[in-house]
Amino acid sequence: MDLPEGVNTARGQGLVGCTRCTRPSPAGTARCPRCGSRLQSRDAMSLQKVWAWWLVGLGCYIPANLYPMLETRTLVSTQSDTIVGGAVDLARHGNWGVATIILIASVLIPVGKFVVLAGLAIGVRHGPQISEAWRHRLYEVVEYIGRWSMIDVFVVAILSALVQLQALATITPGRASLFFALSVIFTMLSAQSFDSRLIWDSAESARPARKPKERIA
Amino acid sequence: MSDETTSPPKAPVSPAGRPVWQRLSIVWIVPLAALVVVLAIAWRNYADRGPLIEIGFENASGVRAGTTELRYRDVKVGLVEEVGFAQGLGQVLVKVRLDQAVAPYVDGDASFWVVRPQVTTQGVSGLDTVLSGVFIEGLWDNEPGPAAARFDGLADPPLERLGTPGLRLTLRASGGAALTENAPILYRGIEVGRIGKPVISDEGSTAEAEAVIYAPHDRLINSATRFWDASGFSFSFGPGGAAVDFSSLASLVSGGITFDTMLSGGSPTEPGARFTVFEEESAARASIFSGNEGEALTLSVIFDENITGLSTGAPVELNGLRIGEVEALNGMVDEARFGDGNVRLAVTLAIRPGRLGLDGENGTDNALDFLSERVAEGLRARLATASILTGGLKVELIEVPNAPEAQITQTEGAPPVLPATDSEISDVSATAEGVFERINALPVEEVMAQAITLMQNANTLIASDDTRAVPGNVNALLTEAQALPARLDTTLAELETLIAQINEQALAARVSSLLDDAAEAARSVGSATEGVPQLIDRLDTVAARAGEVELDVLASDLSALLASADRLIGQDDTRALPGQLNATLGELALVLEELRAGGVVDNAVAALDSARSAADTFAEAGGDLPGLIAEARGVLARANTTLEGYQAQGGVGRDARAALREVEAAAKAVASLARAIERNPNSLIRGR
Repeated sequence: MDLPEGVNTARGQGLVGCTRCTRPSPAGTARCPRCGSRLQSRDAMSLQKVWAWWLVGLGCYIPANLYPMLETRTLVSTQSDTIVGGAVDLARHGNWGVATIILIASVLIPVGKFVVLAGLAIGVRHGPQISEAWRHRLYEVVEYIGRWSMIDVFVVAILSALVQLQALATITPGRASLFFALSVIFTMLSAQSFDSRLIWDSAESARPARKPKERIA
Repeated sequence: MSDETTSPPKAPVSPAGRPVWQRLSIVWIVPLAALVVVLAIAWRNYADRGPLIEIGFENASGVRAGTTELRYRDVKVGLVEEVGFAQGLGQVLVKVRLDQAVAPYVDGDASFWVVRPQVTTQGVSGLDTVLSGVFIEGLWDNEPGPAAARFDGLADPPLERLGTPGLRLTLRASGGAALTENAPILYRGIEVGRIGKPVISDEGSTAEAEAVIYAPHDRLINSATRFWDASGFSFSFGPGGAAVDFSSLASLVSGGITFDTMLSGGSPTEPGARFTVFEEESAARASIFSGNEGEALTLSVIFDENITGLSTGAPVELNGLRIGEVEALNGMVDEARFGDGNVRLAVTLAIRPGRLGLDGENGTDNALDFLSERVAEGLRARLATASILTGGLKVELIEVPNAPEAQITQTEGAPPVLPATDSEISDVSATAEGVFERINALPVEEVMAQAITLMQNANTLIASDDTRAVPGNVNALLTEAQALPARLDTTLAELETLIAQINEQALAARVSSLLDDAAEAARSVGSATEGVPQLIDRLDTVAARAGEVELDVLASDLSALLASADRLIGQDDTRALPGQLNATLGELALVLEELRAGGVVDNAVAALDSARSAADTFAEAGGDLPGLIAEARGVLARANTTLEGYQAQGGVGRDARAALREVEAAAKAVASLARAIERNPNSLIRGR
């Protein structure tokens, strides 16, 4: 993506933008004169937070895939499926559509989130391989789509609330659903912790000497 | 992006060299906490993990790793982790991770079995496993013990259900009693125990099953308890109608045994005690009085002959004393052992040591020793006839003189074998045959024919006209006898006339003296003949009775009559009468001789002839009477009167005959003279 030449960051102009009401204030201002929130030109801890949440999220994602997501007890059988196992089972029975949705919502999106977040965080520190505009767009997508991963947890919650027919059929959430929900929450927190302004800092500092960055660090 | 010229004023930055903790975000606590939690959980899981035990099963049907639970009292206490094979593929090894809490209790005594749905005649069990899948049920006591790692699973659930301790017994089926697995043991219709899986006993002759009587009913069992088969039903049909009798519908279908303590004062039962299950209650009750106490010594005998008639329960006798019974019968073909392919009769005997007076601690051993000694002296077993009628056999232990050397052979795992000798069946049956032949040879038909002929003769005699006519004749005779005085009157009237003529011819003087004698004689006769009307009355009665053919009454009456007659004749006067009469008649003959010359003799002769004929009639009648009596006697004898009666009647007959002869003589005398002479004095007195 091409960026117009001479894009200035607020910081480049000696200003600091309020992240809540977006009002720019002169650098050094402690609090936003309009909304009163604390002003910080760059979140120095951003990357640490991202990595911390990211690690916990990834840690939760592993048991979320190993443990069963749903436990279905019917009159004759008890079935407990992991996420991937369930999707494979569905695909084997010909429900390609549902299997695809599950795979996208439960595997592709979370994994994509981990990859993108990791990529963004690494890109801030090291030389970015793709343009700032692309990275920003990726970040926006990740932040937006992250919450939709909760759809799996919702399905499990709704099913287990509805299907409680005692002996006939009972669906209970498996252990994986808790881990999956935690994983989603942690990745969302991770995405939120990411200070998207850092994307542009690296773009800004790419051409001149990386002085400001050294200062920041 | 931005030029150096437009570079913003320096952003305030933290001075370098800040401590590490200040440069770290607080968010790092979250992954650290997560790590701690994970480690804590992992450590706890590891620490809480119970031991892994191995249970060997015949097969692992329905057992799945990671799913199948181990339960104790229906609470999950473990999970199957792995299902594999034992070395050599002989068993399926199920590895179960035990919960830490129960692990100390799972010691060497623990038993395991797989609970599966079962549909039997006892009902449906384990139905929940249809839905949940099978599970492994464990049973162990409440005492912690040394841990064990390897167990052998049971094929069937053990008898003791959880929480129901009881008394374990061994039941042995006798005769046709059936032991059904898992069948209830009922007492007064209440289930108090269960029968385990029946197995064939070691020696192969009977079925045995473990059984358990649940507490507190186990105190109902003592040494005087008898078990019998309560299954099946009996049908009886009698004057009270038809009756079908069975214990309960459940036991009818599924079998079941019941028991009762028949005598008080039995000794308490040790666990594992052996009891016999009888076929029916009566047999069980009978056994209590047959000295069935104590363990039986099991022996076997192999008879070369295979003869029908021996059955289980047949007595085993030693010198006529019943010391046991036949427990089982089997055919036996063992070419290697006997050298031919004949079927031999292998009989299992149960010897009661108590019957030999050898009860006590080592009763069976003592009994075996005793029998071994006796066998060395020649004791042998043989088949003998127990009942001639049914052909049933028994086993006799007898001493055979000069028997070939033999001894009780003992084999491991089989009962000792008692030597046998030739059976004694043929002799007995021959004797029986002889007895029957003799009975056959008895002239039963002839005797019967003779008896029939005799009865026919008696019948003919009684029915014959002659016999029937006898009473009539007697009547007629007596009528004539009654008419006799009238005729005597006539005769005497003629005699009177004659004497009147004699008087007229002046013979009076001689006649007078003659008649004085006659008068005296007549007086004697008068006194003698006082009894005669009475006698005739009696005869009359007799005749009347005889008319009704009441021969017994007749006989007694005759007896009385004849006694009277005897008495009459026994009087001295009567005895003197003939002599006097003779003398009188002699003189009278002389008178008449003279009279004949006088021309009146013819009349007198005619008169006397009449008198004689009358007397003859009487005599005839008297002659008939003995015949009548003889016939009556015969009839009575053949009508099965007693010998005494016969003799009495015989005596009566003899007396009657003699008496009547004398009566005849007396009557003759009376006819010819007495009455006339009685009247004569009057005429003499008047005429002279």
